[in-house]
Amino acid sequence: MLTSLEIKGAVAAVTTSALLLSGTFTAAGTYRAHRRAGSDARPPTASELVTGRGRSLFFRSCAHCHGQDADGGEDAPSLRKLQISGSHMTLVIRSGIKGEMPSFAKTYTEQDTAAIVAYLKTLN
Amino acid sequence: MIPWDKVHGGMTHFPIALLLFSATCDFAAVAFRKMPFARGLRTVSYYGLIGAALGSLGAVTSGLALANGVWWGRGDLLFHQRFVWPAFGLLIGLAVWRLVVRDAMSRTGRCLYLVLMALASGCVAAAGYFGGELLLKGG
Ligand code: HEC
Repeated sequence: MLTSLEIKGAVAAVTTSALLLSGTFTAAGTYRAHRRAGSDARPPTASELVTGRGRSLFFRSCAHCHGQDADGGEDAPSLRKLQISGSHMTLVIRSGIKGEMPSFAKTYTEQDTAAIVAYLKTLN
Repeated sequence: MIPWDKVHGGMTHFPIALLLFSATCDFAAVAFRKMPFARGLRTVSYYGLIGAALGSLGAVTSGLALANGVWWGRGDLLFHQRFVWPAFGLLIGLAVWRLVVRDAMSRTGRCLYLVLMALASGCVAAAGYFGGELLLKGG
């Protein structure tokens, strides 16, 4: 048979465990609600929409060479912390680099290119 | 931003290892109960268990932060959590019980304790395994 000390211990054990679990779940739920509220509270700004579009274009056309995180691929350099200006980026994207990188002048409109450049600038 | 994936990866290993180690010591103490070092094994398992319980707080907190507060997720995450919560609950309960009872265990008490330790170890191992799967799939 269990001793009275052991029974006392078991009651304390079950109580602590139950309290800690329900406390954990409640805290997690609160944290989640808080995170949701933070991200949904305001609609994205115009510039966030543009960089978001640039980001998806980047994934479509550039990521396979420059890497998903733009941190460089096997043959293509990292595009993080680029030193060149926005207009230089536009020029590179539109005209390409002979033998290295294709031109995107026919693929993307000026607006699309601007969106990609806006996205690249967020990587600095 | 805190890299919760790395924090969680680092923090989970302590409680998992300590719990499995503590359970091993408990069973060894039973197997070698006639030997003089059985008492030492029980002491080691005691501190291992307390350490595991304390460590699990960090593991659970960092895991929940990593999962954005989702404690009952979907798919692989749910598989992980189905084992995590019983393991966490058992671990805390067992540690509290031992804090109260210390070495004054009856035969029945010790038997129950060992069964629950085995169960907790199984859950922790499964939780760790499915947690590793989550990591490999990058999800
Ligand atoms: C076929 C692979 C490939 C693709 C696709 C590609 N690039 Fe490149 N890119 C390169 C290579 C290689 C270089 C480096 C060329 C050099 O320095 O000689 C480069 C260079 C650049 C540079 C200049 C980097 C610097 O440090 O001056 C920019 C900016 C750039 N790429 C942007 C893009 C964008 C934006 C896209 C998608 C619209 C893209 N690239 C698609 C291969 C690629």
